[in-house]
Amino acid sequence: MKAAAWWLAGIFSAVCVTAQADDWSTIETKAKGQTVYFNAWGGGESINQYIDWAAQETLKRYGVTLKHVKITDAAEVVKRIKTELEAGRTADGTVDLMWINGENFKALKQANALYGNWVEALPNWQWVDVTKPVRQDFSESTHNLEAPWGMAQLTFMADQTKVPTPPRSAKELLVFAKANPEKITYPKPPAFHGTTFLKQVLSELTPDPKVLQQPVDPAKWAEQTQPLWDYLEALHKVAWHNGKVFPASQADMVPLLADGELLIALTFNPNEAANLIESGQLPDSTYSFGFSQGTIGNVHFLAIPSNAKSKEGAQVVANFLLSPEAQARKADVTLWGDPTVLDTSKLTPSQQEAINKKAKGALTENVPTLPELHASWVDALETEWLKRYGSQ
Amino acid sequence: MLQLNNVTITHKKSQQVLIQDLTLAIAKEEIVTLMGASGSGKSILLSWILGALSNDFEAQGNVYLNERVLNLIPINQRKIGIIFQEDTLFAHWSVGQNLAFALPANIKGRKVRRQAIEQVLEQVGLGECYERDPATLSGGQRSRVSVLRAILAQPQALLLDEPFAKLDQALRAQVRAWVFEQVRALEIPVLLVTHDVEDIPKERRVVRLKDDVR
Amino acid sequence: MSIVFLPVLIAGVGVLQPAFDLATWQALLVEPQLPLALRHTFFSAIGSTLLAVVLALSTVILLYPSHWWQWLVKRLAVLLAFPHLAFAVGFGFLIAPSGFIARMLAPLFSWSSPPSWQLPQDSYALSLMVGLALKESWFLLWVLTSLLQQHSTLRALHVAQSLGYGRLQIWLQVLLPQVLPRLAWPLMAVLAYSVSVVDMALVLAPTTPPPLAVLGWQWFNDLDPKRFALGSAVSVLLLLIILGLSTLGYGLFKLYPLFNRYLSGKRWRSGLLSSSTLQKAIAINVVLIGWLALILLSIWSFANQWFYPSLLPSTWTLKGWWQLEGTLLTNTLVLGLSSSLVAVIVVISWLEAFAKNRVELWYFPLVLPAVPLVVAQYEVVIRLHSESTYLALVWAHLLWVVPYVLLVLASTYQNFDQRLMLTAQALGHSDARILFQVKLPLLWRPISAAFAVGFAVSVAQYLPTVMIGAGQISTLTTEAVVLSTGGNRRTLAVYALGQALLPWLMFLLMMGLTYWQSYKRSGLR
Repeated sequence: MKAAAWWLAGIFSAVCVTAQADDWSTIETKAKGQTVYFNAWGGGESINQYIDWAAQETLKRYGVTLKHVKITDAAEVVKRIKTELEAGRTADGTVDLMWINGENFKALKQANALYGNWVEALPNWQWVDVTKPVRQDFSESTHNLEAPWGMAQLTFMADQTKVPTPPRSAKELLVFAKANPEKITYPKPPAFHGTTFLKQVLSELTPDPKVLQQPVDPAKWAEQTQPLWDYLEALHKVAWHNGKVFPASQADMVPLLADGELLIALTFNPNEAANLIESGQLPDSTYSFGFSQGTIGNVHFLAIPSNAKSKEGAQVVANFLLSPEAQARKADVTLWGDPTVLDTSKLTPSQQEAINKKAKGALTENVPTLPELHASWVDALETEWLKRYGSQ
Repeated sequence: MLQLNNVTITHKKSQQVLIQDLTLAIAKEEIVTLMGASGSGKSILLSWILGALSNDFEAQGNVYLNERVLNLIPINQRKIGIIFQEDTLFAHWSVGQNLAFALPANIKGRKVRRQAIEQVLEQVGLGECYERDPATLSGGQRSRVSVLRAILAQPQALLLDEPFAKLDQALRAQVRAWVFEQVRALEIPVLLVTHDVEDIPKERRVVRLKDDVR
Repeated sequence: MSIVFLPVLIAGVGVLQPAFDLATWQALLVEPQLPLALRHTFFSAIGSTLLAVVLALSTVILLYPSHWWQWLVKRLAVLLAFPHLAFAVGFGFLIAPSGFIARMLAPLFSWSSPPSWQLPQDSYALSLMVGLALKESWFLLWVLTSLLQQHSTLRALHVAQSLGYGRLQIWLQVLLPQVLPRLAWPLMAVLAYSVSVVDMALVLAPTTPPPLAVLGWQWFNDLDPKRFALGSAVSVLLLLIILGLSTLGYGLFKLYPLFNRYLSGKRWRSGLLSSSTLQKAIAINVVLIGWLALILLSIWSFANQWFYPSLLPSTWTLKGWWQLEGTLLTNTLVLGLSSSLVAVIVVISWLEAFAKNRVELWYFPLVLPAVPLVVAQYEVVIRLHSESTYLALVWAHLLWVVPYVLLVLASTYQNFDQRLMLTAQALGHSDARILFQVKLPLLWRPISAAFAVGFAVSVAQYLPTVMIGAGQISTLTTEAVVLSTGGNRRTLAVYALGQALLPWLMFLLMMGLTYWQSYKRSGLR
């Protein structure tokens, strides 16, 4: 009897496994010949080249044509998907795969605009390090609607010759800014990095950081965020152009840092400084650093809109991007340097070596990761910021 | 006296010589007629005397007006009047305003100036025309206003660039007679360019530009 | 022709519909960004239009018809085909705190780090104003060139000079009143462009807040329908601003003769104005900034490491050019060639069919804000399920390409000497044969010019390309805007320069063809 049960279970699981394998091979078959429009931020040279490489590989291996749609702001893509759906285009959409996280994910999730139930069925899901926050996106559950792609952590960059000892907290940064007037700034919210800077400061200054993991409570909003606004008032007085102008994006800060117009720039990629030195955009003496109490880190994802034309192709691409090979290449600082979401202990030694490669300028110290705020804070912070400093 | 000394005009690009070593003196009260086939450089010569030679050409030689060398004097201080084949009345102004523009500033006062102009208009049979739009005038009337405008500025020499070519045959003789009468009264040197033998005033000198100087 | 224009108008009503809701206007009025955005728009639009007019007219007054005028005219085509965005990028490289001017001054004032100029995104939108003014002054000069090619202007100038007047006075009293009415449409296009410019503003305008047009564009792209409604209200507002300002301008023009009625006969002194050194200085200055922008773009496109305060890159690289993406180039070319070709065909057929009709009506896209037109186009395209197709993009570009082609072709076409046609008809040839064998070859020069202008207009289109292309079809222009937020000045320079090179090559090609075609027929040149 026991044996029979085992036998049955054996068959059952075998059927399951075959069914799943069958599923995936069906998907791969359907994917062949499809064109996947991958909407991803196009402002980074090394990122664009990485996606180019992925496109060549997916075409060669799976017959899937990957087209990188270079966008400036994922919110525009969200808007386009919603417009398409409202116009009744429930199939045949223009976006097949998109690079997404945070409030954009939340917006699409709430609008029921995402294709679901595919992420953890990807064959390469087995490599993913589930101890990392790959099932949470800004305190919003991913619900199998988006696949993790890479890790990010707020990191600062400075020039060794001009900033020998960097500030190690938001408070120290303010002191540093006062000592070096007009040399510190941050991207203008709602630019992603600008909002992240606000969240970083808020996480450090708010009396009770735990409330940041919950939805915004309008009643307590003023009290909870007051330290942030006080901080910004003080910072803007000594900031670049006295806080009347802000760089449009994180990338805009790079040339400013290169020319010494700014002393500190920020990034979400611990390896960015290395890349920028390599491509000649930053001086060789640039280095990266974090705050000693930690900086905000999060995971960025890949999602498929519900009206995507090539859903199978998009899954094949997402699966490929999650493969140890693609992830190792992505983590390679000489190529892109975006930290992996995979469990490195499961990888081959050569893949581990690529991932652990350190390049000149990259973050070498171990900076603790602070959790992302609940997604509702993003909009609230941005709106309040625009109200206070948006027009001056 | 308007005097040209050894004038040579060349087209810069092609190095074609249009006028070669022309020397000419026109006394006060004299009308000299300049004739030649089209393209022989008559109008170019006039524009050089006027001080408005196009950049495509270059000129050598001197031009004198009453013993004053004009070569380096800008067009607006040469005191030479010009009348073109096409009438050049300014379309946004009335006949009277066109003439007032020419009238020297030493005739002062709104009323005085208007009276002065109405008087000359009267003299040439264009009384009541002060407020008229030039576009409503006949061809003959327009050319009379053009001549009047040139004369009112009190030029010390006058250049006429085929002034009658656009007028019809009947009108032509009449306007011609009138113009000659006006310019003679001014007692200034006049250079007339034409290719119509009929236009040559009797007893006047004619200079022919040959085509074969090229 | 209606296929290009009508659907946009109909959808335009839909796009603007939220603007007819009072609540939207109330929301707009309390929007904290509005007052400053309005100020930026007024400053940059009025300032740049006036400045462009002053620049263009003073150049004409001082130079025309001197040797230096001809020198300048020959160099205008290059500047004219310099796309707005590419020029803005180069201009930014020039004036930024770590830009070329600051680097030149750095040793003089021993600035060890860049000065804290708030440029180019200064809080009075002055950079945008000056950038627009320079670019538009070339356009106005070009329009003036063709107006002044008529002999009557030159003769009028000479007559007035022989009456003892100087240049300045002649222009103010005699020539301008005659030339200005014919400048009305170009001036309105300049005004409308500066009021509704987005791509240049993204590079040169302040961001806290941006000018109204950019704000509207951002709102149209917002997830929130309320914001979309605000965008729609802003479009109406932009339209009202354009209408208001042009009515004001028209009124001032109508008042102008009143100051000009009584002629005292006084000749103003004007010795200085005809000095050749001054003319030279002016002519060179008009093109100088354009050239500097161009040179800086070229240097940046080859720069590897180029940090303040070095005047030249410390290391050079071809990397930027190798990484130029082929598909972007082909997309830009395909769109430019097909939309200008279609536009030329459409315009010629229209001119053939309705030779005597007034053409002004079709210029409306040039005097309307681009943002709502583009959103309207998008609504049309999405209903037809054809976004991000080449066909839809060509259609979208035509809305701007057709008017420009018409602008170049209409007057020459309508002034075509009908006697030539009659002569050919008298010889017993069919109309079609005459059109293709007589008329079009004779009009080759304006047609090729119109083609090149249409191509340049298409290449420079940002809003319709990014909207209708839905990101799937990108061009050098959309890529350059993406990169302008990317911080990599080398790549940005490569794309901006590429965007500028294409129209230049097209103008060169067309000039070459014209030269070749008229090699033995000097009458055609």
